[in-house]
Amino acid sequence: MSDLSFTVDRGAAAGDRPHSGAVRIANLSKRFSLSGKTFTALDNINLDIRPGEFVSIVGPSGCGKSTLLRLITGLDTDYDGDIRLDERRVAGTGLERGLVFQDHRLFPWMTVAKNVEIALLNQNLPKERRDRLIRSHLELVGLIGFEDAYPHQLSGGMAQRAAIARALVNEPKVLALDEPLGALDALTRVKVQAELQRIWMEAGTTMIMVTHDVDEALFLGDRVVVMSPRPGRIARIVDVDLPHPRDRASSVLHRLKDEILAELTAEPADADDRLVPFPRKPRA
Amino acid sequence: MKRRAVNLALALLLPALLLALWQSQALKGGAHAYAFAPLGQIADSFATMIADGRLLLHALASLQRALTALLIGGTLGLIAGCTIGLWRPLEAGVTPVINALRQVPVLGWLPLIALWFGNGDGAKLILVSLATFYPMALNAQQGMHAVDRKLAEVGRLYGFSRWQALRLIGWPSALPLILTGVSQALAFAWIATIGVELLFSASAGLGTEMMAAQVAARTDVVIVCILCVALMGFALNQLFGLVRRRALRWQASR
Repeated sequence: MSDLSFTVDRGAAAGDRPHSGAVRIANLSKRFSLSGKTFTALDNINLDIRPGEFVSIVGPSGCGKSTLLRLITGLDTDYDGDIRLDERRVAGTGLERGLVFQDHRLFPWMTVAKNVEIALLNQNLPKERRDRLIRSHLELVGLIGFEDAYPHQLSGGMAQRAAIARALVNEPKVLALDEPLGALDALTRVKVQAELQRIWMEAGTTMIMVTHDVDEALFLGDRVVVMSPRPGRIARIVDVDLPHPRDRASSVLHRLKDEILAELTAEPADADDRLVPFPRKPRA
Repeated sequence: MKRRAVNLALALLLPALLLALWQSQALKGGAHAYAFAPLGQIADSFATMIADGRLLLHALASLQRALTALLIGGTLGLIAGCTIGLWRPLEAGVTPVINALRQVPVLGWLPLIALWFGNGDGAKLILVSLATFYPMALNAQQGMHAVDRKLAEVGRLYGFSRWQALRLIGWPSALPLILTGVSQALAFAWIATIGVELLFSASAGLGTEMMAAQVAARTDVVIVCILCVALMGFALNQLFGLVRRRALRWQASR
């Protein structure tokens, strides 16, 4: 596993910046119907994501951030508004859009290599090219030597990296990551964040990552989208104008973290309406 | 290593006590010697039956009967269970009937089967197949419901067709339960085989031999057959346990 000391120049990667992988989300709303009541999970979301950009999304529970990823990847299909990938409207799942879940979701009955290979099932590639893709992606996530291991034999961090390899092996234009490191312990998490940054810089894929961790969002994101709950809205978009790879100790990151935390913990403007008096008493 | 030796010693303790008790009864003489054949006599009969090939003949006949029935009943049960499990309307329609019918012990069908098919090898095979059908069908049916929705979503993400999802996600998810079904069916097949052989005493088989020995007042032969049934059943169970562990080696804790 590589540590924090890798040195890939983001400038060089920017030179051959990918031309596809632009995500345009316009006037997106999503309503759920639950036991007769409808409630709004996402309300008028507008977001333009550049090809090859890393966008982090933070927000409290219930702000619809996971729902947003499920809509982008097409696991949920029913929405109002528009989601486009390179000008084409998203309809259903597709190999050009990948997703990494919080739980690795590897098939327990398949080895690591087989789990990665299964993502290529409907790609119709010659065996030689397929094997090369699998190997290079296992290399990318540092799992060479674990090809024949079963998921239960891996640590949490390794399993999550295998899941990232599986998601990337199709060379998707966009990779959505739904709290991908949420289940990892703090130390592993910091390591895999650095791994993820390196992988992103090497792969040049557009990445959209949902996280609870503001440090993580800032460390990785070109931009951090701050969402607010009930209904899920974009409260603010923070530009993180720092080159990659980043220094965690950067004062800019610390200042932005304070701002975002202030935003996330602020009282809602119409707080009075939301407070339910307890015990409920009829007004005098 | 030491622990295994201790376990083995413990496992042998109960049989040794039983044998001692048995022998003490046999040595009382008279009617006791008839009901409890002395161990020496049992050993002699065992040697004789091995030497003249009788034991092997009957054991193989029973084994073949049990395994053939397992193949027939198990396959039918697997197909039925999978179909029922995958198709909800069918499931709602036939589950009550199956649950009612399986309350009837296999030997409860014996009068009808004898009436329709006689008491030859075919009738025996049908009865034993029936015994293997239920455990296989019920476990396969449950297995079809064992798919984790989260893993099914992974299949959607990578554009699996319905058939691919069934083969790559549904089947492996169901496999632990299906193998449980096979191991139950195997045990039922062996028990039912001996049972029908005792009742339909024609052609070779350990049960048939046991019945003949009882009529001939040869308790020693009965005992040899019982031991043979017990050991073979045990061996079948252990052997399938190995197969099962191998097939499910991907599971975390076994």
